[in-house]
Formats: sequence, structure tokens, C-alpha cells
Amino acid sequence: MTALPRMMPAHDIPAPRFETERLILRGPEGRDFDAVCAFMKDAERTKYIGGPAETDFDVWGGFCRAIGHWIWNGYGFLTLEEKATGQAVGRIGMLNHVGWPEPELGWHMFASGEGRGLAYEAALAIRAYTARDLGLDRVISQIHPDNARSRALAERLGAVVERETELLGEPCLIYRHPSALEATI
Amino acid sequence: MIPVLTTERLTLRAPEQRDFDVFAEFYASDRAKFIGGPLDRDRAWRQLATEAGHWQLLGYGRWIVADRANDQAVGMVGIWNPEGWPEPEIGWDLFTGSEGKGYATEAAEAARAYAYDVLGWDTVISLVAPANEASARVATRLGATKEAEFDHPRLGHLHVYRHPAPDALVNGGAEAYA
Repeated sequence: MTALPRMMPAHDIPAPRFETERLILRGPEGRDFDAVCAFMKDAERTKYIGGPAETDFDVWGGFCRAIGHWIWNGYGFLTLEEKATGQAVGRIGMLNHVGWPEPELGWHMFASGEGRGLAYEAALAIRAYTARDLGLDRVISQIHPDNARSRALAERLGAVVERETELLGEPCLIYRHPSALEATI
Repeated sequence: MIPVLTTERLTLRAPEQRDFDVFAEFYASDRAKFIGGPLDRDRAWRQLATEAGHWQLLGYGRWIVADRANDQAVGMVGIWNPEGWPEPEIGWDLFTGSEGKGYATEAAEAARAYAYDVLGWDTVISLVAPANEASARVATRLGATKEAEFDHPRLGHLHVYRHPAPDALVNGGAEAYA
């Protein structure tokens, strides 16, 4: 009775499902685990977000935690599923862990999702949904000062540095996004 | 969603954010040393969210065990099967000050009955750290016997206890959640 199937969803979470030009944005599913695991164990890609994870066990705990976040907050990471391949290429969504100053728009882009503007495409759509459906507008993103790629995405999204702080013992820039409601008018 | 089980003294219910303070206090204590702790408050929050997500991902998980008299959380007991586990296990943690009252045994019996009668499983294990004598006593009281050892990359060396099969339990515990 080992190796249970990764069935989904066992219990509903309030994740929306919508599409952009190249992506399906949906809640986390068990089949995303392998892609998340590869990302979280990649030292280079996780060095500004507290990584890398050392074991599959640790990644699995974080994977469940992201779902628990949905259950409690009504929002969380959405999986970016590329329409052309069906592959999970990243996770973007609203996070509000204990100790966070306010809910933030966060992004984890997997190697397969980089360099093609997919993060920008997804973040724009998710920021609009967050403002419209969750009532969270002018949100923040917390980014390590040395994380140049993440900062470039924030700036492309029109976010500006509001202040410098610390997050979990690391230096952190708090970017403030523009209103997603006004932008659509 | 997450089912509620009731025993003589206890309610087993979904983990919620209001349980966080007592959960964090337990995980910050030396008593959490056998289960990956001690953890600071941030890590403890992540652990409690993991417990909630486990339910959604696998369809079963661990309940907050609360005293029926006042709904105060006294522990976390249920079915736990993270990545890399040998098999699903019945696990029990008692929060600080709730030891020595038989709560772990009472709640674990209800969780085991749920695994057998509702999920339809025919076997289940419990993992116990070799130095965790209190946990080993609970396993023994539940009729489980040590059958193997298991090395976990994060939690180290663990003993595998096998619970009696459903047929071997005189009282399947069905009344536990009736």
C-alpha cells in the first residue's frame, strides 16, 4: 500500500481557473509536485527565497503548505500550466504567511517557464483577479535586493520600491504595485 | 470537507488557524524533538498549514484533537503520509500539558477505526523515534508491534510499528465516530 496515487482534488479549495493567451492558471494539483520539487531543489533558482530544499520530504511539506494556505486564506499560489505542453512552468499568486506585513504577490518561475514573458503574462492576469475578486489592490511584492530577475519583473509590472526591510532574516525590498482596477479602465 | 470524529472525551476536527498558538508552543518546546522540532513560530505556522494541505492533497490527514468540554486543542492525531513515507501511518502528538491522560491512545483508536472502516484500508503503521518512549507506549497500548526499522532523510532512524488488522480488533471502534 505504498505509492498512493496522487488523486485530486480530495477537498475543494477556492482556487479560480482562468486562461491567458498561453497559459491556464489554476489551483495546485498533485501532478505539479515533480516540477515544484525540481525547482525547490535547484540551488541557483531558489537562493533568494530561502532554498534550496534538501529533501523531497521538505518540498512535499511546502507543497501541502501552499494548499493549506488556500484553505485558510481563500487565496494562494496558482499553477501556471502552459497550454502548448501541459507542463507546470511556475507558480504565481497571493501569499500571506505569518509575519508577512500584508498579502503579497509572489512568483516562482521554473526553468521551463523563463525567458518568454510567461511570468509577466500570468502576473498581470492574477493581479487583476486579485483586485477584482479578492478586493486586494495595490498589493506588494517582497524581493531580495540581489534578485535582479525578480526585480525586473516587478518593475515591468509597474511596481516601485516603497521601502527596505528584512524578511526571515534577509534583506528585502517591498515593491508596491499600481492599482490593477484603474489599469483596466 | 474534513470529517469530525467524536470519542468519549475528545473531538477530532479540522486544523484551524485558531489552533496556532498552542500548536506553536508545542513545536517550540523540547517535546517536539522527535518530530522535526523544535521549530520557531514561522516554521510552526508552515507546519500547521502543511497539516491542512495534506487533507486536500490526499483525502485524509491529521485532526486537531480537542477536549470536548471546552474545545481546547490538546494534540494532533491522525493519518500522515508525506512524500517518502513507507506507508500511511497513524501519528500522534500531544501538546504541552496534555500528556498522561490517555488522549493519544483514545484519539489514535478513532483515527485507526476511520482508516479501516471509512477509508477501507486493511493495515496501517506508526513510526516511532527509538528514544521516544512515551510514543512507543502508546503504540503498544494500541496493540501495535515493532516489525521493522526505517531511515528517514530528515527525521533519522525510526521504528515501524504495525497495528492489528481490522479483523484482529475485537471492537472495530465503529462507535468512535458514529
